[in-house]
Amino acid sequence: MADNVLKEEKILNAEGLFHIYESKALDGNVVALNGLDLVIREGEKVAVYGPSGSGKSTMLKCLGALMKPTAGIVSIGGTNVTRMTGQELIDLRQKTISFIFQEGNLLPHMHALDNVAQPLRHAGVKSAEARKKAAALLDELGILERAYSLPKLLSGGEQQRVSIARALITEPKLILADEPTGALDPITSREVIELFEELNQNKGVAFLVVTHNEEVASFADRVVELRDGKIIDSANDDFQAFSKVRMIPAPICPACKHDYGVSKAEECPSCGSSRPRVRAQ
Amino acid sequence: MKSDKSILGVFPDSIRMSIQSAWRGRERGLAVFAGVLLASLVITTVLSYGGGLSQVFFQEALENDPIDAKFDLRERPDSNAESTTNNSTILTDTCADFEAMEEISDCALVFGRQALRVSGFFDESFVIPQPLNVEYAEASTGNWENVSWQYLEQENGGPPINDQRTIRFYGDGMWDGEHRTRHAEQILYGEWPESSSEAVEKRTIILPSKIAFDAEITNGSVIDRLDVSYIAQGTDGEAVNEDECNGVVEFEMNGYEFCREIITLENLTVVGIYEEFEFGNPTLLFNPVIIPAGLLNETVNETLMNSDHGYLAIALDRGALPTSSTADTREYLTDLYRDIQSKEFGDSNLQFVTTDMISGTITFLNIFLGLIQIFDAIIMIPIIILSLSVLVYGLTLSLEQRRREVAIHRVIGGTSPKLQRMVLAEIFFMATTAWAVGYLLAMLVVPIVLSAVGFMDFRSGSFQVNPWLSFALTFVVALTTVGLALIFASSQTKEFLSTDIEDGVKNNVAKRKPKTWLHLIMFFIGILSFIDAFLETQNGNDGLIKSWFPNALIAIFGPFLLWIGGALVLSRIGALGPRILKVIFGKTPVLKDIRTGLSGSSSGDSIQRLAVIMILTLSIVTLAAVQGYTGTLVDERTASVNAGADFKVTFNEPVNESVALETVRNYVGDLEYEVQSEDVSATSIQRLLTFDNERDIPVLVWALMDGHEEVLHWDDQAIPGSIDDLSSSLGNGSFLVGASIGYSLGLGDDIDEEMTNNKRDILQEGNVLTIEKRDYAVIESNDSEPIPEYVAELSFEQIQTLLGVQSFILTGPDMSGLDLSGQDLSERDFGQANFLSTNLAGTDFSGANLSGALFALNDATSASFAGADLSGAIIVDNQEAGFGPFPSFSGANFESADLTNAYGIFNFSGYDLTNTTCTDGSIAIDSICQSGPSKMPQEVQFFLGGAPSASDIGYTTNQTNITHIGQHVWIPGMSANEAATVVVIGQSSWADLVGENYSTDIKNEEWFFEILDESSEAGGDALRELRVIVSADEKVTEVTDWSTQHRNVERDGGLIFGTPGLLSLQFVVASLASIASAFVFLTLVLNQRKKELAILQAIGASNGQVIRLVLFEILSIILVSMVLGIMLGIGISQAFNGFFNIFGFIFQFFGGSATPIARNLVYPWIDLIQVNGFVISAVVIALFLTTRNALKGDLSMILKGE
Repeated sequence: MADNVLKEEKILNAEGLFHIYESKALDGNVVALNGLDLVIREGEKVAVYGPSGSGKSTMLKCLGALMKPTAGIVSIGGTNVTRMTGQELIDLRQKTISFIFQEGNLLPHMHALDNVAQPLRHAGVKSAEARKKAAALLDELGILERAYSLPKLLSGGEQQRVSIARALITEPKLILADEPTGALDPITSREVIELFEELNQNKGVAFLVVTHNEEVASFADRVVELRDGKIIDSANDDFQAFSKVRMIPAPICPACKHDYGVSKAEECPSCGSSRPRVRAQ
Repeated sequence: MKSDKSILGVFPDSIRMSIQSAWRGRERGLAVFAGVLLASLVITTVLSYGGGLSQVFFQEALENDPIDAKFDLRERPDSNAESTTNNSTILTDTCADFEAMEEISDCALVFGRQALRVSGFFDESFVIPQPLNVEYAEASTGNWENVSWQYLEQENGGPPINDQRTIRFYGDGMWDGEHRTRHAEQILYGEWPESSSEAVEKRTIILPSKIAFDAEITNGSVIDRLDVSYIAQGTDGEAVNEDECNGVVEFEMNGYEFCREIITLENLTVVGIYEEFEFGNPTLLFNPVIIPAGLLNETVNETLMNSDHGYLAIALDRGALPTSSTADTREYLTDLYRDIQSKEFGDSNLQFVTTDMISGTITFLNIFLGLIQIFDAIIMIPIIILSLSVLVYGLTLSLEQRRREVAIHRVIGGTSPKLQRMVLAEIFFMATTAWAVGYLLAMLVVPIVLSAVGFMDFRSGSFQVNPWLSFALTFVVALTTVGLALIFASSQTKEFLSTDIEDGVKNNVAKRKPKTWLHLIMFFIGILSFIDAFLETQNGNDGLIKSWFPNALIAIFGPFLLWIGGALVLSRIGALGPRILKVIFGKTPVLKDIRTGLSGSSSGDSIQRLAVIMILTLSIVTLAAVQGYTGTLVDERTASVNAGADFKVTFNEPVNESVALETVRNYVGDLEYEVQSEDVSATSIQRLLTFDNERDIPVLVWALMDGHEEVLHWDDQAIPGSIDDLSSSLGNGSFLVGASIGYSLGLGDDIDEEMTNNKRDILQEGNVLTIEKRDYAVIESNDSEPIPEYVAELSFEQIQTLLGVQSFILTGPDMSGLDLSGQDLSERDFGQANFLSTNLAGTDFSGANLSGALFALNDATSASFAGADLSGAIIVDNQEAGFGPFPSFSGANFESADLTNAYGIFNFSGYDLTNTTCTDGSIAIDSICQSGPSKMPQEVQFFLGGAPSASDIGYTTNQTNITHIGQHVWIPGMSANEAATVVVIGQSSWADLVGENYSTDIKNEEWFFEILDESSEAGGDALRELRVIVSADEKVTEVTDWSTQHRNVERDGGLIFGTPGLLSLQFVVASLASIASAFVFLTLVLNQRKKELAILQAIGASNGQVIRLVLFEILSIILVSMVLGIMLGIGISQAFNGFFNIFGFIFQFFGGSATPIARNLVYPWIDLIQVNGFVISAVVIALFLTTRNALKGDLSMILKGE
């Protein structure tokens, strides 16, 4: 299904990225990115996998133009963002890319609706219009009834949905997600992934997802491994296994052994527990 | 979809969100809120206080005269003008028109002072219109011969209009309504009649207290006959035709002449007696006798109308006067009266000229109030600076708390200007609310501040204050406080937003280097000013900086630099608190297990800020407490110096203790305040002239009678050592010495060493002095000629000694050495003045009071002493005394002068002595006095070289040996200037000196009394009441009470009216600020450290250990900061002392009083300990709550963050 929407235009192209954190510690400077190359095409879903300290967060910041790499070029939608300054960067964030973080990172003093509407307000859209659109998005994500709750009153999944809604409201072409399900329980994270899947299909949004989770990786068209600051064509068995894994909806409910058959149900009709995804055999 | 429930839904989105965000983020905004609130509270209070102060002064001034305005007919009543009338009924009827005006609450006809058709006090013709005077009274009861109808106070206290006691006839309207209410309040004894008919029926007369007391009558007494004079001719300053005058032609001091004719009233009953005021507005002439106009028959009524004595007395609705400022009041009145002057009233279309009594009062007040407000504004500067620093730190903290939030905004596309607008909008709403709360609080606080009678001592006053500021001022305060918050916020936000997003996400900031060098320089200059101020208080030292200009600069700015620089520098030490205490407690079991956890924790920015705020606030608390407390004590001590005891009575003649006690005890029962008459005790201080045996110089002695310590209000500052030690050692023959006589006797503490070693025979403390009292007697000689010239053997040195003796006795102005040649000093009061070496050539002393004055070494050629009172004067003529070749008084005019008992060295035969009273009291015949200078008092006679010749006079002595125990600064109740020239001894030494004449039945004119607890409110009221009552006693000349003295001091002395209130406010606000900021900053600091605490727990620290760690760390910072804050507070109190001294001096100068009391700082440790205790409690509570929260929180959640 995903292959259908895959297009040839590069939404993101990173070439030879280096980033060095200066440190006065004895062991000297830390090389976080070490000649990283990465291409993401429009509508493509890419998962990045890598051990801790491999440079995942640095990569995401550099690719998202939150930070300038020490060397190398990042172009988004064909424009070199490493040379961009001020207003251009803000335009980029307002129109082309959005972020989703592990923690949701909602603004603590605004309720959900305002949180979602805020990016549009920043972009100069009229407040009423922004709220209308935000409400529609929240409705779409099934949490409209929580629109006037403050973030601290929302559950983890709800927070993440709000944060997804916030990322989507600008209708970006690329979403950069840093462990988007890291703080969520398995069922909620599954829902989040399905949401990503849907967005990708319906709106053609491209995803770059940093993750450790097999299920998340399985949603991607492509899984790459980051090690020592660069993407590697790994012969590593783990990675091979990780990148080749295919996940399908479980045929039998693990709780009551109900057989789903060809049903697409998300929930077991007899015991109500949600339907997990499992490795394809 | 649910709708947004809050009412904020109606606002535009951005405003709604700012308000919501401000409210939801209130925790981080607390410090901003507190800063603006403090600033708003303090600035509003100081401004509103100034307004309130002028209102209080104003109200007190208004109490003097119940009448607010005098409306006179524009044209003379006897003229033919249409706009006037000579019918009192028509005039009274116009009152209906006035009372209908909302500004005026009462109006009534009064016969009294003639119409004022002038522009004010300074118009020459202001002095022409005359009042009705009382001329004579006769009654079968009371002692009316005692009563003088002269009322010189009236002429001395204002323009020269009239020196007689005035009378007013009150029309019907004065006996009811607002006029009645106001007059009734002033009644001391009796009642103001309920109505005009009652007043007429009772044949009422209301008397001022002095008249009633002098006449020794009370309510119900009947006055058989009262003669009142009105002006029949001379109105408008026209010449008097003596032939047509049926009364007396009178020449007033103002140079105008009047024909006064008499109206006689009979059979009047005293219904009320009111208390006289010391001075009043000269427009109406004050403290009159009052009688209802209804007692006058029609003819008299008409006469008084025709002679221009009728006017309308107006009572304004004082509640409607604008109270925001006296300027507003004046404007209101000007508008009102201009309006009235331009209109016609009543059926007969009368026109009026108005005389506003209130504006005149305002003019005088404003000068004094201006000074007070400058002073008050300056003493509130520290607390304003404090509130600003709380604001700045609060902003920094609050911005740091939003670092992450701002980063998120930027990730989702927020631009810097937009984010700045957001932050500013939020701070704007917070600041506006804080300003409003501060403003309202100030409105509550101001009346309390104004009611302070001492540091943290408030009493309800009888005044009404409207503390609301004018719109413009309110706007300015709002603009300043909210504006400052926004300016600070704007600059800080800009800087904050310029940091990169990655920094924000990473959550670490490049620290700015603090400007240590600047802090150190400030601190250094501040310390200089402290040392300078300290040295200057020590024995008149010049201090460090001698040149006046830098000295003045450092005196003004030094204290502020010391305070701010000190707080910044010392805060570093405060932040090192944990390390300091770790060294002390590190090895104890308290810290053993958590020792390693303590390292490096004091480096945080927030911690240092906490230390700065603690030091700033607590040093202000100390400053306010020390200065407030010291000021209150200085006020009380000054009152004690002036009054000497609870009560001081001067009798007409020396009386013994039992008479004195009886006089006061008699009246004590009349007081509402309960005093047992046996609780009243008395003492006196005897004066005696003695001679130092060794140096043969005169020594004036004050002898304190046993038991004085029970009665006199002694003070530690007055004497060395304690009063108990003093009284016992005085009883054993010791003495104290005043500074200047001590110097003459070589006893002073401050004689510099060179002097002491080379030139003087020194008696130091413990050394013995022999003094003797000399009783002179003229030894009968065969030569019985009348007393001749005293020239004989008098030497210049002897005359100087004589003058030295005289200087003890002179109590009048010191004019010595001045050039008064050719000046017009006629009619002035120079009783007991010192004219030693004064140039008096051609000076006009005609009619002056020169009784008891000293004239020596003068050039008084052609001076005029015509009509002067020279009785008892001491006169030394240059030529007669052999001091110079020319007579001092050649060509002088002594016509009609009174030389009774004048003595000295002079021979006036040959001068113009027409009608002169000679020294023996006889009138000069043919311009020649048969008698020479009169016989001198014995003490003085001796110095004049043994008159009539040395062998004819002798003396016997009584000696006593007294031991020096130190120097006194003042003696309670005695003149502080004089105290410097006397030696103080005890009763036993005095008995030695008096010798065989000694008896325990001591007589004195002046007696001091201990009666009750003078400092309590009821006690103070009772003393003031007693003063009025005792003053009326016929044996009594003058009464001074402690409470009245204290009020006077508060008003124009040391610490000025109301300032204790402001210092109390400063104390309370700074205390609350220190407690609150300890709480707020701790909460913030601990929130920032939540993660650190969680980590500690995660690696296995027990709750107890974590709490102990935090407690120790924070408490050690607070404790060390506290100690430093108090130390700094003591420093700035000392540095500010010079400043307070200067203003105290200015106020005394304006208020006409002086205090010998040095402003030695007093430390109210109990108050300080209480505040610090509260701070510690607040900190412990804050620590406990926040730490518990941190400990209760889900570890994983806290640790996960960022």
